[in-house]
Amino acid sequence: MERLTTLRAFRDFRKRIAEPPPESGPTLVICAGTGGQASGSNDILRVIKRTIVEKGLSARISIRVTGCQGFCEMDPFIVVEPGARLYPKLHMEDVPRIIDAAVRGEVVEELLYRSRGEESIRYDSQGEIPFFKHQKRLILGRNAKIDPIRIFDYIKKGGYSGLEKVLERNEPAWIVEEVLASGLRGRGGGGFPTGRKWKLAKASSAPGTQKYFICNADEGDPGAYMDRSLLEGNPHGIIEGMAIGGIAIGATRGIVYVRTEYPLAIKHTLIALRQARELGLLGENILGSGRSFDIEIVRGAGAFVCGEETALIASIEGRPGEPRQRPPYPIEKGLWGRPTCINNVETIANVPLIFAMGSGEYAKIGVPGNSGTKIFSLVGKVMNTGLVEVPMGTTIHQIVHEIGGGSNTGLRVKAVQTGGPSGGCIPADRFDMPIDYDTLTAAGSIMGSGGMIVMDENTCMVDVAKYFMAFLKDESCGKCFTCRKGTQRMHEILDDITKGKASLDDLALLEELALVVKDTTMCGLGQTASNPILSTLRYFREEYLEHILHKRCPAGVCKELVGAPCQNACPVGTEAWRYVAHIARKEYDEAYRVIREANPFPSACARVCHHPCESFCRAGKSGGEPVAIRALKRFVTDTADPGAFQAKVPKAYKDAPKVAVIGAGPSGLTAAHLLSLTGCRVTIHEAESKPGGMLICGIPAYRLPREVLAREIASLMNENIDVILGSALGRDISVDGLLNDGFDAVYVAIGSHQSRRLQIEGEDAKGVLPGIRFLKAFNLEGEELAAGRVGVIGGGNSAVDAARVALRQNKVERVTIFYRRTIAEMPAYREEIEAALEEGIEIVPLVSPLAVVVRNGKVAGVRFARNALGDYDQSGRKRPVPVEGSEFEEEIDTLIAAIGEQPGTSCLSGLGLSKSGTLAADRRTLATDRPGVFAGGDVVTGSKTVIEAIAAGKKAARAIRRYLDGEPLEEPATAVLPGVFIPAHEGAKDEEPAARVRPPALSVKERAFCFDEVDRCIGEQEAIHEARRCLRCDLEFTQPDAEHGGAAAAGTKGNRA
Amino acid sequence: MINLTINGLNVSVEKGTTLLEAAHFLGFPVPTLCHMEGLSPYGACRLCVVEIGEGPRARLVSSCTYPAEEGLKVRTASERVVKARRMIIELLLASCPQSKVIQDLASAHGVMRQRFKQEYETCILCGLCVRMCEEQMMAKAIGFRGRGEKRSIGTPFDAVSGQCRQCGGCIYVCPACTLRCTYTEPEKAVCGACANLQPPCIEKDRFHDMMCYMDPCVACEIKKD
Repeated sequence: MERLTTLRAFRDFRKRIAEPPPESGPTLVICAGTGGQASGSNDILRVIKRTIVEKGLSARISIRVTGCQGFCEMDPFIVVEPGARLYPKLHMEDVPRIIDAAVRGEVVEELLYRSRGEESIRYDSQGEIPFFKHQKRLILGRNAKIDPIRIFDYIKKGGYSGLEKVLERNEPAWIVEEVLASGLRGRGGGGFPTGRKWKLAKASSAPGTQKYFICNADEGDPGAYMDRSLLEGNPHGIIEGMAIGGIAIGATRGIVYVRTEYPLAIKHTLIALRQARELGLLGENILGSGRSFDIEIVRGAGAFVCGEETALIASIEGRPGEPRQRPPYPIEKGLWGRPTCINNVETIANVPLIFAMGSGEYAKIGVPGNSGTKIFSLVGKVMNTGLVEVPMGTTIHQIVHEIGGGSNTGLRVKAVQTGGPSGGCIPADRFDMPIDYDTLTAAGSIMGSGGMIVMDENTCMVDVAKYFMAFLKDESCGKCFTCRKGTQRMHEILDDITKGKASLDDLALLEELALVVKDTTMCGLGQTASNPILSTLRYFREEYLEHILHKRCPAGVCKELVGAPCQNACPVGTEAWRYVAHIARKEYDEAYRVIREANPFPSACARVCHHPCESFCRAGKSGGEPVAIRALKRFVTDTADPGAFQAKVPKAYKDAPKVAVIGAGPSGLTAAHLLSLTGCRVTIHEAESKPGGMLICGIPAYRLPREVLAREIASLMNENIDVILGSALGRDISVDGLLNDGFDAVYVAIGSHQSRRLQIEGEDAKGVLPGIRFLKAFNLEGEELAAGRVGVIGGGNSAVDAARVALRQNKVERVTIFYRRTIAEMPAYREEIEAALEEGIEIVPLVSPLAVVVRNGKVAGVRFARNALGDYDQSGRKRPVPVEGSEFEEEIDTLIAAIGEQPGTSCLSGLGLSKSGTLAADRRTLATDRPGVFAGGDVVTGSKTVIEAIAAGKKAARAIRRYLDGEPLEEPATAVLPGVFIPAHEGAKDEEPAARVRPPALSVKERAFCFDEVDRCIGEQEAIHEARRCLRCDLEFTQPDAEHGGAAAAGTKGNRA
Repeated sequence: MINLTINGLNVSVEKGTTLLEAAHFLGFPVPTLCHMEGLSPYGACRLCVVEIGEGPRARLVSSCTYPAEEGLKVRTASERVVKARRMIIELLLASCPQSKVIQDLASAHGVMRQRFKQEYETCILCGLCVRMCEEQMMAKAIGFRGRGEKRSIGTPFDAVSGQCRQCGGCIYVCPACTLRCTYTEPEKAVCGACANLQPPCIEKDRFHDMMCYMDPCVACEIKKD
């Protein structure tokens, strides 16, 4: 290559190479950055080359191997130009088809990108894909357009035009002014205005002093890799930016300090440097301007602290990478004691852009004070992992949900962690916050280099803080005492918290220490080391307290507190691992006993429990499927003899304490049963004509057969319990009356039985039914209130139940559910929604009722407005916003309003209510503000699940017993860990683990219009196979009993509540 | 000359003077562990932090390394400084309770307990010995190795050093071991120095004329082997 010596020669050269080749066919663009190569892009590339040669297509198709394009989730992918068709996650065998289609100008439809969850929508071009559509890819976009090892590619696409302009003016002061005017701030995290730094560097020391311009590519944050991608994908962009910076401050030597762990980045940069030198864009007298600048590479050994500028300088000088106290700043005294300007890779990548587009235009991007774009590496529990470039001031919502596609686990996103180990966590309810340096700092985090780790609800914030502290403890250089010992001690306390060994004093000490470490350390690493703790404490203090006071890890992460995740997740603490192990050993009666010990409603829960145990099951993590624990429970309750469990009922003596339980739902019955076993005399008052509460009023018989429920309730009764049916609180009895009648304690568990009103016109017309009234009329009395065209408003379980019950009534023609959000956002259980759809119920999403149309005093229809999705709300879902002029009327004969239930509180006179309008009770003891009166279940929590109501009943029974015995109400908290050793099953070791079992169900035809139970029990072989899929998390905590030789322990009864 | 204010007093110092020197010149006590005249400033122990600046821009800096600046307002014992210093001393006590120097610091600052898990380390990595060896003895026989938790001081590869002249300078400057507390047995003391100065353990029979500031004395808690 000929060395260019004048600006004119360079311009001619650009013109010469920019001429398009005569006939350019389609181009295959392959993303082959480090991430792409790790996903197999090299294999794809090999197949492409072979196919092209074999088919003799080399003249008709071209390929371009680029650096990272950012969509790492979809690697390896190919983009076919023109048309920008993106084929993601390719396999080698797909490649020939794509090449054939590309040559013919066609599209391979089935291989095009589709977003997960909405497979029906395909995206014809890259720009339409939400991941790309919502970004502004000024810097990353160039990665896709050039082959990083071809300088011609870069020059063709307008590369080095910034340098060209700079050399034309040949005026360093102007460069500095332009950068100042652009408002560019340091992308390494600090956000110091780059122009100001350059101005200081330019002014520092006498002219003629050797100065240095350093590119800091020591990127070490876990999960951040934007700097690597820029060096790999567009090294000439960095070289150009450095040359401009060098000329601006008067440096003639530049250094790229890059980690040895980035071999591809080093390789590409070395090639680019050679090319730039050969072409005369680096070196002495660049393009005849009289300016000289050259760049060399220094490889860092990969210490995190070497990203700190004084440590980086020490490392380049060959000393250990340790920071020194500033001042003097490197701008005055840097490398070898000379003025040195250090900028981050991404900052430098922005510089050519400023000169190419003009500082005025550049300053318009983003928000005032924070101009330009920022690249984030979006990782963690998010659908679209990758590099994301957005203008400053974009909200976290937009990045996480619109670009990132939201959580990839189906759970809600709880927080994002920005800024790497020295950054902080920002909770989901602050996701409407714009991202810029100042807002992030005010929120207790930092921009850092732009790592963004998305965390879902199964992430424990204490564990996150501990993880980062462990990282910092190892990466602290150890020079200054508060950083070295401070991070060690903070980690020590966090470790104690996650193991349940810490007290509130330790938490106070942790906070005190964190503030001192932030205040007193030498360099940026230490000064920000407390951020993970301080920000999680600021937003998630509750979680810390939960660990410390209640010895619980709500996210199910901290092993020493969680034990087996299934047991930890269960509100009543059922030892799921234990009965699953018994099933694997074919010990069904043992299994039944384990279930029944924890849960007085095993058969009901085997059918209707929302099984949190399965959501936390480790077999379901990292791509697997959780053990079907509920189906196994169903198998046990259907198979084993309920007589295997015999509760011992002590005789209640004459002067035994008397307890009144109001409400015979799952919570009241549980409390009554357990209290009766402690020798109390219990009287249950139930307002309805049958006991069972929501189990009978709300849950239809096709989900929970009535004889199963009746049998279960009967088994809980004994001679210590009296049931009075038809006796309602407020009408027939009162709390005062009961206390006056000699009851020592009262448990209020009246549930949540009032349907919320729609608050629209015509709601009181005939034919409009509250959901619960409709269900009760049928479930208790057999009355069929629905007729003709039935509309159900709501998206929860009671809405779907009401719809499916209505469908089974004789006079009903058709049933439609109207919901204000999308079907995917309906809170009802997935399987219920699917069953409803299968049965022929129509669901109309994104509509809100405006008014009930009333004719002759009776409902004739409903006027709806269609909704569009607006901004994100606190729950991370898009808010439905009515569309103007979208109103329509739907003819309806029966309207069921099932938008949620609340407790009827008019009967609770004399008891305090909570802010949300439910009965107020202490979370741990369930005591109300009146001594001797306890409350639990839905009346306290609002509509929740069966198992939570049972858990409240258990808790109430214990608290009431302690109250009666005159003991303090609060129980000491202990972590519940597996305590009984059950040997592994004896079976063939090489048995293939079966896939998760699917319980059989009645076909749609069989179940139409009848109330036979839909879900059926699995068979014995299936159950054993399923149980053997269990990973046996318990074995980590239990030991074979040495004395009895292990196996004997299996038969012993673990006496645990 | 550079004019600055320390705790409200005006002082003029030569260019290049550190805040620590200026404060000491005025007679304000600023504790240090890693600083020693004749050795280059290091800024590692953070005990000498002072508060500079005002309002939201106020911050703590290590006075041993910070050069005096024109018009700077320095506070050597503000609430923020004292709080930080006491925490640092608490951390020191938690790691190295047997050091007489550290015990004295603790008593002078009213630190009567430490709340962390007790460790018994023999080094606080202040680096005095390394600088002594390099800058005054011109030997460079010892240096730092490792990073973070694993950082330690020693000769290369822990081999007997050909550079070391066994001058004892390193031991002479060590705040953690020269004045090592003798536990409960003075005859086993490393140097016995503390027994002649302000020895600990007033409670013990054999130390009736000695005094100790820690309650309870952490050094006494060390299990004898």
